[in-house]
Amino acid sequence: MALLELRELSKRFGGLQALARVNLTVEDGMIASLIGPNGAGKTTLFNTLTGIYPPDEGEIQFRDRSLVGLKPDRITHAGISRTFQNIRLFSHMTVLENVLVGMHLHMHTGLAEILLRTKHSQAREKDARHKAMELIELTGLAGREGEWAHQLSYGEQRRLEVARALAAQPKLLLLDEPTAGMNTTEAQSLMTLFRQLLGPYVQAILLIEHNMRVVMGISHRVHVLDYGEKIAEGHPDEVRQDPRVIEAYLGHGVWAGNAQS
Amino acid sequence: MNPSLASIGLLVYITGSSILAYLHPQSTLAFLLFEASLLLIYYSSARPGVKFMLGALVLLVLMPILGFINAYYLEISVEVGIYVALALGLNIVVGFVGLLNLGFVAFYAIGAYLWAIFGSPQANEFIAGGFFPLASYWFFVFLILSIAIGAATGVLLGLPVLRLRGDYLAVVTLGFAEVVRALVNNLDKPINLTNGPKGISPIEKPPLFFQPVLEFFGIQVTTAKLYPLYFYFLVLFLVLGIILVTRRLEDSRIGRAWKAIREDELAAAAMGIPVVRMKLFGFAVGASFASAVGVLFAAKQVFINPESFTFMESIGVLAMVIVGGMGSVPGAVLGATGVTILNLQLLKGLSLWLNSLRQSGAIVSIPFLGSYALSQIPAQLEPAKYERMVFGLILIVMMIFRPQGILPPRQDQRK
Amino acid sequence: MDLALQILPQVLVDGIVLGFMYALIALGYTMVYGVLEFINFAHSEIFVLGAFVGVETLFMLQSAGQLATLNPAIVLLLVIVAGMTVSGLAAMALERVAYRPLQGSPRLVALISAIGASFFLQDGLRLFESLWRNTFYLTYPTLDILDRTVPLTADLVVPVKSILVVVTALIMLLGLYLFVNRTQMGTAIRAVAQDPDTASLMGVPVNRVISLTFFVGGAMGGLAGVLFGLNYGLVNPYSGFFPGLKAFTAAVLGGIGNIPGAMLGGMVLGLLEAMAGSYLSILTNGAFGAEYKDVFAFVVLILILILRPRGLLGEKVREERG
Repeated sequence: MALLELRELSKRFGGLQALARVNLTVEDGMIASLIGPNGAGKTTLFNTLTGIYPPDEGEIQFRDRSLVGLKPDRITHAGISRTFQNIRLFSHMTVLENVLVGMHLHMHTGLAEILLRTKHSQAREKDARHKAMELIELTGLAGREGEWAHQLSYGEQRRLEVARALAAQPKLLLLDEPTAGMNTTEAQSLMTLFRQLLGPYVQAILLIEHNMRVVMGISHRVHVLDYGEKIAEGHPDEVRQDPRVIEAYLGHGVWAGNAQS
Repeated sequence: MNPSLASIGLLVYITGSSILAYLHPQSTLAFLLFEASLLLIYYSSARPGVKFMLGALVLLVLMPILGFINAYYLEISVEVGIYVALALGLNIVVGFVGLLNLGFVAFYAIGAYLWAIFGSPQANEFIAGGFFPLASYWFFVFLILSIAIGAATGVLLGLPVLRLRGDYLAVVTLGFAEVVRALVNNLDKPINLTNGPKGISPIEKPPLFFQPVLEFFGIQVTTAKLYPLYFYFLVLFLVLGIILVTRRLEDSRIGRAWKAIREDELAAAAMGIPVVRMKLFGFAVGASFASAVGVLFAAKQVFINPESFTFMESIGVLAMVIVGGMGSVPGAVLGATGVTILNLQLLKGLSLWLNSLRQSGAIVSIPFLGSYALSQIPAQLEPAKYERMVFGLILIVMMIFRPQGILPPRQDQRK
Repeated sequence: MDLALQILPQVLVDGIVLGFMYALIALGYTMVYGVLEFINFAHSEIFVLGAFVGVETLFMLQSAGQLATLNPAIVLLLVIVAGMTVSGLAAMALERVAYRPLQGSPRLVALISAIGASFFLQDGLRLFESLWRNTFYLTYPTLDILDRTVPLTADLVVPVKSILVVVTALIMLLGLYLFVNRTQMGTAIRAVAQDPDTASLMGVPVNRVISLTFFVGGAMGGLAGVLFGLNYGLVNPYSGFFPGLKAFTAAVLGGIGNIPGAMLGGMVLGLLEAMAGSYLSILTNGAFGAEYKDVFAFVVLILILILRPRGLLGEKVREERG
């Protein structure tokens, strides 16, 4: 069953065609990767999908609902949540608070309840903190929950973003270069985490990645973008041998499994 | 420090400073030391229950007693309390949500004029029937009403303005406050709503509903002595109420959503937060605090005019939030207290001191520069008149050296 | 209706004069915003400083007995040059002291510092004049030639001082346009406005360009101050606040960062305000009169920002990185 279906998705900025009639499907239970050279339109695809820009043409179907024209917070409501390429944490809030913000949607405490500090609202708070701590432990940040987000190391910040995105209880998790800047060990542990998430936490994952080891290691399916167009799709092994893809990357170095492109 | 030791230390300090203030009713310093006991209580390592008791002792027992003897203390406390309430309201808008509202005083004015118009004969100018001023117990009704009206005005201002980027939003809110002030200044025609620059008076004070109780106990106090105490307690409870509401909101998903918006609006939206709605709500809450305090202000002053609601006032409150620490409740309280006292007592005290120097007829010799007769100090050098200079300097210095304020929000907010 | 038409020429003249003054002040706001994406809130005090320098220069000439003897054109030239220079330098100093230390900070921090600077300068001027002249409400000495009138048409007479404003402003605006578009320094300013990082990589001394921008913008504001003082006669340290705010509105109206925009915005706002001042009362049957003309500009500002935030001619600020 297709969880997400992008049909003929197009977006231009002035003279630049950032996305040109992209077709892409993500199925339930799948980890899919979106790869392509820099500037191929990958983050634009995420931004269009999550409502930051409206698409010029095309359709976005998510669980039999069209997402076109929805604002970002409504899209999160629909069941999609994401991380960002240039980490966008809430720097002057603690790790725990960052994750709790992700739970905003699901807390349902009303104004009156909050002001009167009803048993109900306190129970919800407690429950939310409990779930948040679970996610913090899951992403390997246990013990750091009281620190300001900006005090974390780079790798920890990326993991916090994942925890925060998970707090929104998404069906589809979008990850924008989650292992960027990490060494092999850190990237490996994130890969393990992602595999763990599939099923108990999320129904599908779509990630943008430059690290080919990660892409090859966990993807069920790989989609390749170049200059806004989708040029290839398939099983990782198929895609790595596709001549169009190789040409787009202009070289073999990338495919030898180097961490950075 | 050992909690019990801290508690004893506090008790000693409180006793000492209150006795000092009692013996020297004219001394600014003694009063400041006494007030500082609250700060010490807050930051001490005594147990929360003890802190609460000591705080209650200072605010509910000692201060009223000192105030009864010297009404000036009560006046200062009320004025400080009003600005604390305003600073707390602005703190939500600027500190939590991160929106620079330069026209916050408009909401204050709306609350004040609301009661001023209906709690005085003013409303008879445009509503026939001689119903006004309303009976004094309506004060409490209007207090509640002003919360709703303040919130509504906040939303009305917010709707067009919240899409603007930070600096534009600041200037537009400033414009809005000036529009409100111009309206208030000029709506004495075609119908006389506000009596224009002449102001409105006399405004009803809230009723002394507890007077029968006092008389029952044989306590005879003149209303003149009673009202300052009454306003003190009214302001105190209003401020405590505002602090309570603020802390509860802060520790909830609403407070977290606000802070998230302040930190990164885009990411906040991506986490499912309805940004525009939350911003409007923040505006509304801040505005409602200001309006409520406005009603109290009008009743206390008995006379109000547009001069109390200038841009200078808005900046004054902003300076309080900034100096104290944006986004922090103790910061707002400290900032408001500090700046108000600076304004009321220190600047005036400085003026008086300079005056006394002038009159002393003394001559001072400065090496290399010769001697200088103190009576020659120019009369224009009147520190009390140079508030703007002081505020301006405070703002610049704070931004350059400590933009987070004196008491920025701390990590361990669990109190 | 007849009355309305009758006063129209006078209203137009008033509007044009006001418009040029707003345009000159608006240039200061727009140039600084173009280069730093920052509202120099204290520009209104740079403007008023110009007016004060003007009046002090005239007083100095007066006490030296030169005021009556020198050719009025020389007097005016001296006053204008003095006003422009001091204001320009003050603006540069302001940037150095209150804004440059905050270069990396969030913009709102700099804005708050600017507000602080504005307040500080207001009272600073007051203090100076209080100590120097015992009063801070100053009246410009009259120059007879300025009050003479020139008949433009059968019914319309225009005072020389209005012509002075228009002529001086036009010369300056032309000069500024040439400076920004035809000289190397001007190009440097435009480069920094568009993309400071690349400009810096190309060898442009960004900080010096910023200082220059403040100087030029400040000088324009100072000129406006002198003209304001010559035209209206009275100055006090707080009289910069409203014109400053209105000129900022004009800058936004024309498109912030856009120099021709500031000029256009100034003219439009000046005309609108003059018309509001004269016609509002007639239009509303006396309900709302000229006392609301100050507020008028704010209403315009709010409307622009809601309906067309880019302004009439479009913004010229930093290009967004994709």
